[in-house]
Amino acid sequence: MSSAAAVDTEADLVCELDSVRGIVDALCSVRWKRFQDALLELSQHGIVIIVEETGCLQAKVYLQRELFIKYDYAATGRPRFGVSLGLFIDCLNTFSVLGRSNVLELRYPGPDMQLMLRSVDSPDACIYAEIRTIIPETISWDYNFEPAGSTPLSFTVKSAALKEAIDDLEWPGSSIQISLQPSPPSVIFRGEGHGDLQIDFNYYVNTDLLIAFSCDRQVSHRYKYKFLRATTSNIPASVLKDNRGSKATIGRGGMLKIQHLVSVAKPSVPHPHIDSAGYQQPSRIAYIEFFVKPEVEEKNGCV
Amino acid sequence: MEFSLSGTALKTFARSITCLARIGNELVLQSSSSQLCLHTLNSSRSAYQSITFKPDFFDVFSVSGSQVQCSVLLKAICSVLRTPVASIDHLAVQLADSDASKVQWALDCSNGMKKTYWITCNIEPDIQHLSLDRRKLPSSFVVRPRDLNRLLANFQSTLQEITIISTQQSALPLDAADQIGGKAVEFRSYIDPTKAKVKLQLLFSENDSSLHTQLWIDPAEEFVQYTHTRDPVDVTFGVRELKAFLSFCEGCEVDIHLYFDKAGEPILMAPKFGIDDGSFSNFDATLVLATMLVSQLRGGNSSEPPAATTAQQGTKGNTSEHPSDHTRIWSELSGSAVRYGNAAQDQPVPGERNQNTNEHTTIQRIGAMNISMDKNAGGVPVHGKDFHPAETDDTRRPEGSSKYADHSLSVLVKAHKLTLSCYNCSIETNGHAPSQHHPSNWIDAEEDDDDEGDDSELCVQSTPPYS
Repeated sequence: MSSAAAVDTEADLVCELDSVRGIVDALCSVRWKRFQDALLELSQHGIVIIVEETGCLQAKVYLQRELFIKYDYAATGRPRFGVSLGLFIDCLNTFSVLGRSNVLELRYPGPDMQLMLRSVDSPDACIYAEIRTIIPETISWDYNFEPAGSTPLSFTVKSAALKEAIDDLEWPGSSIQISLQPSPPSVIFRGEGHGDLQIDFNYYVNTDLLIAFSCDRQVSHRYKYKFLRATTSNIPASVLKDNRGSKATIGRGGMLKIQHLVSVAKPSVPHPHIDSAGYQQPSRIAYIEFFVKPEVEEKNGCV
Repeated sequence: MEFSLSGTALKTFARSITCLARIGNELVLQSSSSQLCLHTLNSSRSAYQSITFKPDFFDVFSVSGSQVQCSVLLKAICSVLRTPVASIDHLAVQLADSDASKVQWALDCSNGMKKTYWITCNIEPDIQHLSLDRRKLPSSFVVRPRDLNRLLANFQSTLQEITIISTQQSALPLDAADQIGGKAVEFRSYIDPTKAKVKLQLLFSENDSSLHTQLWIDPAEEFVQYTHTRDPVDVTFGVRELKAFLSFCEGCEVDIHLYFDKAGEPILMAPKFGIDDGSFSNFDATLVLATMLVSQLRGGNSSEPPAATTAQQGTKGNTSEHPSDHTRIWSELSGSAVRYGNAAQDQPVPGERNQNTNEHTTIQRIGAMNISMDKNAGGVPVHGKDFHPAETDDTRRPEGSSKYADHSLSVLVKAHKLTLSCYNCSIETNGHAPSQHHPSNWIDAEEDDDDEGDDSELCVQSTPPYS
């Protein structure tokens, strides 16, 4: 590409990543509907992908610059643009070939404000793609998450267990109440529909399950099942296999924040010196955050 | 009522629920101080299963009062057991009394989670209890689940009903060249002719009737035990329920004991434990299935149909013994005629071809002719042409009866060409010693020439080597 040098000075961002599979996993975890628009925000710190269900649920994927082999940021301010999430994931999938190490270059903006993708270092083929972007219509609803009080109300639980509990809670067919209580220290999920189901996570019983727990007073909020479900339904298999934990925090007004860690590992031979399957260099982690608004009765809140 | 269980008992319990869920929709739990009984009846009332557990099956078992019972949806219990049994430390069930609105199921999982389900009890449950004395069913066999699985693998996996034809094992030495030789039991696929016809009309059908299978079994080889010391009988019943019970027994690592009488009478299946039935085990299971009223052997000649609903039966039906029980047709079809009917080989049946080309010939007629043949050594059918199917029309249906009562002759008249050609073959080939490879046992292209062309789709075409 003879014009590459000239184009570079115009692009806000040119970055290269070598673990497309991991990025795809991270993006899939915030996919709860077939058609979703994502907002990408570029900064010198990395790329943030924001997905939203208007007024009810928001998810963010943080891809720090350390995840990229190359990260040339030249913009002033923080460019934002929208893409179809499904389209973006499908496109990335075409670049990731299992078993082969492939480097992908992302470039924004293209001549027509599109997002450009290109395979690099591929000896026998060149894959090139452009994705049309959308000017974001509104600034995303600011899910300003504030702590509920001086003591955080949070717990960290095995991601697999959280997913299992939320899957089971489909049965009652109702909204889910999440309660934290300091004594005995426990988290209780409860649904009351055509049948009742209560799932208890007791802190003192098994510290493998509840990895961390912080609560100084009893709190209880209800959340719509389908939004709660969206926070765990597409957790990548790697997260479950690696036995990672997810952190849940209840903020002011009952806003629920759920954080997952997804490993964005380079598909390479296992490190000879590391025997723990769950170990990853810290910089090879993508952070996923979900914000779920509590169910408000008699108000035009979530649909 | 309160009980809790873990470990192997929990696995058995979960397996029981899975089996019950494959039979019916509602589960009745009845507990007394001596046992816990789970039972279900399917919606068409053609299958009833009950599994009972003795108190020592459980870690904890207590009942307040004399008896406590409730009825819940099996789907709800299956939701409780969605958690893999391997990750459950123990399960505890609590029901305050028979009037309680909910029954509590609590799971303590090995990963530390505690899941508590409250399942709504059905108001005004329809609690039916069936007790069928297996000692009243004269024939039976015991088979290992994996052997039965292997036998059933020969049949189309979507097969809905199967016929088991049972004959007396011969004590005489057998000449394999002349006869089937010791293969006293036949498994045969049963295809509902009405469904077969519907398939032609709609092109899409869940009942894919393109594969018909007949399997002759030597009980000495395939069964652990076999008891049948009377005339040949056949029973036709649902495969789905059979497979459900088979999975259950396979998981429990016990053999299946199947008791039966004859067409129209229910069959009973139970696990066969150890040496003495039941004495070595702290649980027991029974599956009772209704069988088709119409016998495959003699085309519905059996008399008054007993109520097909097993829920009302505690005793055998009131079928009377008929000379038709000795019909030769059966013999030729399955090839053990040497033991029973000599006349078949001696007597040609005149006019048979004409009747079979008559589109309205019913199986009933053929059956009637054979009754006549039994009675008249001359072999000329006396009643055949005048026999009216309506006389044995079994359209009377007890309320809520299963579809088995629907197999009236009027149904058979319409779309039975397949079966007709079976009988056609067997009657024509008198004089040949029946054997497993007897042409009468195969429905092949030669016979099709005799049939009406427009009905040929219903006839099973022969496999290529035979055409």
